[in-house]
This record gives sequence, structure tokens and C-alpha cells, in this order.
Amino acid sequence: MVDLENSSAASGEASVSSSGNQNQKQTSNSKSNSIPNSKKKRNLPGMPDPDAEVIALSPTTLMATNRFVCEICSKGFQRDQNLQLHRRGHNLPWKLRQRPTKEVKKRVYVCPELTCVHHDPARALGDLTGIKKHFCRKHGEKKWKCDKCSKKYAVQSDWKAHAKVCGTREYKCDCGTLFSRRDSFITHRAFCDVLAEETRAQTHPQNQSKAGASLKSEAEPKVKQAVDSPTSTAVAPEPATPASAPAHSTCVTTSLVLPTKSSELAENPARSVEETPGTGGLNGSCSSSSSSSSVGTTSSNVFASLFASSTVSGGLQPPQTHAFSDLLRVTARPELPSDLTLSANDPISLCLSTTHGSSVFGNAGQERRQCTLASQPALSATALLQKAAQMGATTSNTSLLRGLGIVSSSTQHDNIQWSQGLGDSENASIAAGLGLGLPSDGGSGLKELMMGTPSGFGPKQPTLDFLGLGMAAGGSSPNSAISSLVPSISGGVDVAPASSSSYGGGEYSSKEMGSGGS
Amino acid sequence: MEQLLVHCANAIESNDATLAQQILWVLNNIAPPDGDSNQRLTCAFLRALITRAAKSGTCKMLAAMANAHYNLSIDSHKFSVIELASFVDLTPWHRFGFTAANAAILEAVDGYSVIHIVDLSLTHCMQIPTLIDAIASRFEVLPRLKVTVVGGTEDVPPKLDLSYDELGLKLSNFARSRNIVMEFRVIRSSYADGFSSLIEHIRMQHFVYAESGEALVINCHMMLHYIPDETSSSSPSVRTMFLRALRSLDPTIVILVDEDADFTSNNLVCRLRSAFNYLWIPYDTVDTFLPRGSKQRQWYEADICWKIENVVAHEGLQRVERLELKSHWVQRMRNTGFRGISFGEEAVSEVKTMLDEHAAGWGLKREEDDLVLTWKGHNAVFATAWVPA
Repeated sequence: MVDLENSSAASGEASVSSSGNQNQKQTSNSKSNSIPNSKKKRNLPGMPDPDAEVIALSPTTLMATNRFVCEICSKGFQRDQNLQLHRRGHNLPWKLRQRPTKEVKKRVYVCPELTCVHHDPARALGDLTGIKKHFCRKHGEKKWKCDKCSKKYAVQSDWKAHAKVCGTREYKCDCGTLFSRRDSFITHRAFCDVLAEETRAQTHPQNQSKAGASLKSEAEPKVKQAVDSPTSTAVAPEPATPASAPAHSTCVTTSLVLPTKSSELAENPARSVEETPGTGGLNGSCSSSSSSSSVGTTSSNVFASLFASSTVSGGLQPPQTHAFSDLLRVTARPELPSDLTLSANDPISLCLSTTHGSSVFGNAGQERRQCTLASQPALSATALLQKAAQMGATTSNTSLLRGLGIVSSSTQHDNIQWSQGLGDSENASIAAGLGLGLPSDGGSGLKELMMGTPSGFGPKQPTLDFLGLGMAAGGSSPNSAISSLVPSISGGVDVAPASSSSYGGGEYSSKEMGSGGS
Repeated sequence: MEQLLVHCANAIESNDATLAQQILWVLNNIAPPDGDSNQRLTCAFLRALITRAAKSGTCKMLAAMANAHYNLSIDSHKFSVIELASFVDLTPWHRFGFTAANAAILEAVDGYSVIHIVDLSLTHCMQIPTLIDAIASRFEVLPRLKVTVVGGTEDVPPKLDLSYDELGLKLSNFARSRNIVMEFRVIRSSYADGFSSLIEHIRMQHFVYAESGEALVINCHMMLHYIPDETSSSSPSVRTMFLRALRSLDPTIVILVDEDADFTSNNLVCRLRSAFNYLWIPYDTVDTFLPRGSKQRQWYEADICWKIENVVAHEGLQRVERLELKSHWVQRMRNTGFRGISFGEEAVSEVKTMLDEHAAGWGLKREEDDLVLTWKGHNAVFATAWVPA
């Protein structure tokens, strides 16, 4: 197979097996002959890009344990990159390998097991961890046995996840119903109004009375604990997607999700950077999309709520033009101890996000104030910004606006996520901090991204070109990002709050940024 | 009791009102509606016979009399979706099929980027959440899901008080919470014509999407037996036609779960015997999971009553409870060009685990490739998996 040479040259951590190669040739001559010629037009998960490098790893490599060991805590990692990221936590010197941005060829991995569907390059898996786990689960020895119920697992993380819930045998839905069986809980959960309202709150702006309650989805963490699955973080409030709102009246409903696999993110937050080299360093919201549960639940760690939005590729929803603004308004319910305040009337709107409790709107008076502010639907973004500045001024602990940024990154689902966050104003004047939630002294790349209006934004300046706010397009030039973003906004993009970035995520991305610049 | 019911049926069929009345009187005394499970079963048949008598000429008087004593109308409860979820959850009757089917489906669709599930299920998508959850937690690469259900089968219990559009919305929401993109589609279609509009719809869909590596899963959960099985001399039955149409769609996998009994006979007495010797099972099991006098128990038994009445009192198109034995279905599937596949060890162990959560009388039997749920050793529900041969 062609790919073998490529992969051995290109992959540092993945050693290539000749045995896998031979096996393939021996057993499926016709197959391997047809592979290079087979024409595939698709680029879907599990059906990888035909141009992608197909990598066949040997079982030994796939089963290889962690080769990169931390000298402090002896924790092992399968990749040097991960170790480096880990070293950071010990304040050790660390260095990330920079990837050439353009030249990275997509890699896909096939399973060495001949009888497996993933042995066929047409069914190759898109990431190394995926294929490793797949190989262990499906073809490996189940050596992890639960002490309580004797259930066996091939992958340690599966076993750990199981062990956490085994024996608890109790699942509680937010509606208060208790379940002793997971299946029962899952089925109930799917149909329970609690889940529906959470989503409705995000997808049906008109339903404001219900919106407030669900934003505070404090019950989600409970669910997460109860759910025995590696994707449990996915239970977190999802980015509201526009698709289901209009579809409500028709037969077809569609749900959209962020393409990021949250389980992996949860296991190893650093991965997001590796996997999305184009956006990871720039975009706090990207790495934090999996930790969206922190909206309203974390009391102090939320430094800024980033609102990401997705667009539907199919363009199903003409009536959704104001979705974003509506949604933003929805989130600001006066009776909420709201950690999210926002107000907007046009599709390009700002959201003010503050940390809950401890920092800005810590006291009730300010909260109320914030709410009145937010409940004026016609308030322009400019005015909002001004008010925000005033509030920032009156607040003793001024971590109000950290930055205002629009970050767009195109994803594999052709969604455009973008997020706007207002945060700490301490670093500079409010608007000068625009851009990516980073301090305004960002690298040269940042300045480019500021689109030539870096310092003009004073809080008192009455008219602001919000399209010109710090804007970063993942992996592409700012210009193209703007041009792609702008028409889609005006064309009725559906926008929804997706996530808030946790403290860790934010810190992470800023550091990342720093390292990128150095 | 079975004998008495058979006599009574014969009397009604031969318009012998006097004899029928005598037997009904006896039955009425020995089968109170609040008796033991066998008495309640008999009582349900008794009601069904009276209903039947009410429709046929000379026994009308008798029926009118009996009507005074019985409220013959069966009050089929309209479940809320939450009620239905917990209702279905009470017994392995449906869960057995769900568990086995989900395991087989997971195995079959591994690696596909798009999974189209056509859920022909009596239980209004109650199986789908666990399937979504399993897909979300097992697959390395999350596929896109399409779920297609049929609208227009609302006339058979259990009935749902929620529209399928709303149900679909809930499911999509749930899928999203598991990071899965899901599309939900309701196709109005009726079992009476073998779901022809559904088949056409899938054919069109599949024509477009089969190229792109979409798995087509046909999940038939206690629904196919509503398709008319009557054959005329000239043409094959609608049921056969349906299976042929299904085969022509070249599905990735077909799961067929149904109750293992034969209600197809044209002879009332045959059907009555068959039904009596099968439907004791749901009556017998109810004591293990629902207390006497509970609301849910009333709903549960009312739905069995509905079945019995349909088998006994109705004829022709109205008679929709046309169960067939597993062996018949197996023969049908093979004749249509399907090949049975085995349920994997995983499916078996999951079913076993599930059964452990229920009463001791439930059992799992493996017959060749198939799985059979048993109650005290009697076949209750079978699960079979098929691929195009």
C-alpha cells in the first residue's frame, strides 16, 4: 500500500507495521488492488477523504502503552505532544511541535484485524485514539474486570467509567424520577420534558418563560455522574441548534452537534489543540465546546461565556434570522441569578458574559441592574457596550470585559461557529481588548485579525462597526473569514449559544497563543 | 375454561343463542373480571365473545342482556410518552426485543457514516433512545442518524397522546445531547396496504443515499403482524408483498421481533384456542410487576383485552392481530431472499443481564440463530435478524 511509506515518514509516534501490510495483501488481493483506484467522493466520518493518507498500524503498535513518561509523576503518555502539555502542569519546560499549517495531510487509520469492517480503507477511522480504542474493544483481550459485577473491559478508560457507576445503580432524572436501570433512565430521559425544555429554551426563543430555568441546567452534572459512558460530557447543554426550531412544525427535525468529540476532549483537553491546529490556538470556544456544562453551573471558574453559533449547511430555516438575538434575549431573564446577560436586536449581537457569583455581578443590586439592561430588547450593541463599561466602572472587582471577539472556524459539518465574549476590562479599555478573549497585546497575528480597527473602540464612541471587531478565522486568512462570515450572517444564519469556556480552556488557549507567537 | 370458551364460540357461530347464553352464564360465574390471572383471561375472552355475538344476528338479544352486566367497551388508555416509557419498561416483553435488536443493529452498522433506521414499532420509538445512547457511547466515529417511522398506526394499542412530530423533536433533542445528528421523519403509511408509501419513500431515499454508504436498518418490532396475511388465489398476500418490497430495498439488516403465536386461522375456534394458549402469559406475568388495582395494571390488561377482542370478535380487515409463529416468519423471510444471522454473544449477554432485572420466570432460549423470550418455559417473543441472502 502506498500509504505505508508516507506514514512512516510522517508520523513520529505511529510506527508502521509491515505485518499489517502483508496481511492485507495476502488475504485480499483484489481489495488491495482496487484500493488505490477506488474513487470515493465523500468526506464523511468513517468514510474518510479519499486523499487522506491511509495508515495501517500493527496490533503491537496499537496496543502499545504509554511511552512518554513524566519524570515528576510517572504518568505515561502515548504521544510526546501530550506529555509536553502535561509538563506544563508541573511548570516544567515544555515545547510543542509546530505543525506545518498547510501541508498536513489528513490521516486515517485502518484496523489490522482482517475480518473487521475497519480493515477496509474505505472504513478507516479518522484518528489514532479512535483506532486504538476500536482495536482494543473489538479485538483485544478484555483484561479490565469490574470487581463488583465482573463485567470486563478491554479499554481501561471504559472500565474506569464503568467502575464509577457500577453498584450505584441509581439514575436520577432532573424531573425527580429515580431509576435503577440505565436503559430505563435513558429512555425516560429522552422523552422527559426536562431535556426538551432545555433544548427548547435554546432553540425556541419565543418560549421565554421556560428558557430561564433551563439555562441554569444545574442538574446536568448529576446526569453526567450517573451516566456510564465515555461520552457523558455530551449531556451538557448543547449548542442550541436552529434546525429543530422551525422543524417543529414539520415532519423533519434535525439536530446538530459540534463535531468535537467531547469524550476525548474530556480525557485529554490538550487534544483539541492537536487536532485542530488551525483553530486551537486562536479559539477558546473551540476547545471549550465540550465543557459547555459550565454554563451557569460553575460558580467561579467561568471567566467568560463564549457564544458559539452554528449554521445549518442545508439552509433549512429561513425564518431564523433573528434567532441569535432572540436567543440572547432569552437568556437574560430577570428572575435568574443570571450569569449571562445579553441583549441584541440585530443578528450580529454582543453578549456580555460575566462570571457567576464572585466577580462582576456578584451582588444582587448589580444583577438586577444587569437585567434591566438586558431586558431592553432594542438596546443596541453599542449602547450595551457603553452600559457595560459603566457597570464595569461601578463594579469594584472589574473583571467585566475580557475581550470581544468573533471567532469563526469552519468545521467538518460546514458549520460556522463563532463566538463573542466580553470579559475583563482590566487589561485595557474595554473595546481595545477586543479579539479572542486575549489581552490586547497579542502577537502579530492578532493585530492582523483586528482588521485595522484596533484602538478606535472607546466605550464612549457611539458608533461601532461590529463587523470589524476582532475576528479570527481558523485556518484561513482574516479576509476570507470575514467574507464568509458576513454573508452568512446577513443570510439568516442561525445562531445559538453554545458553550462557555472554562477557566482552564481559556487559559489554555491564551498560552497556546503565546507559544505560537514565540 | 378453554373448553367452555370453545363451546361458547361454537354456539355463537351456529347461532345457538340458548346454548351460548347458558355457557356465558357459567363462564360469567367462574371467571370474574377481578379473579386470578386465568379467570381474568377467561373473562376477557368472554367479553370478546359477547362482542362477537352482538354483531351476529340471532344472538343480539343475548348481547344486549350481557351488555347490561358488562361494560364492553375497552378503554384504551392514551399514554403520555413518559408513562409509555415506564410502562414498556415494566416487563421484558418489549425490552427483550429492544435489547436484542439494538445489539444486532450496533454490530451491523459499525463503520457506516449514516444510519437510517426505519422503526416499524408498536411502541412508538421507545427503543430509539437506548439505541442512540449505545451508538453514542460505542462508536468511535459518531454516525449521522435518520429515523423514519410510520404515522397512521395509531389505532392499535398502546396509544400515545403525543404527535409523532413532537416525539421526533424529543428524540432529536436527545440525540443532540449525545452529540449525534439525527433526522426524524414521519411517513404516513398503513399496515393495511403493507406500508406501501413507506416502502416507496425508503426506495427513493435509498436510491439517493445508498451510494454514500448509508446503512439501512429495518427494525420491525411487533408491527408486521398487522399486515394482512390473507392470500387470494391470484395474488400473494400483502404480507408477502411487503417482505418482497423490503428485500428489494437491500437493507443492511432487518430485525424482526414479534410475539410467537399463530392468530392467522380463519377458524374462530382455532384462533380462540391459540390465543387462549398464548395470552395467558401476559396475564400470568402481570402479578410480578404490577400490584392489583393499580392504574397501570388496568391499562396493561385493557390492551390485552383489546387484542383478544380483535382476535375473537372481529373478522376481515378489522381483524388486525394476525400473529404468526416464528417458524412461519422464518419461512417467509427465507422465501423472500433473506438469510438469518445469529445474534452475537454480546446480544445474548445483554439480554441475559436485562432478564436478570426482571422476575424469575423469564428465560432466554436460543433456537438456531434466533433468540426467544420465554415465560416459565413457554415461548413468548422471538427476535430474529436478517440480511439479504
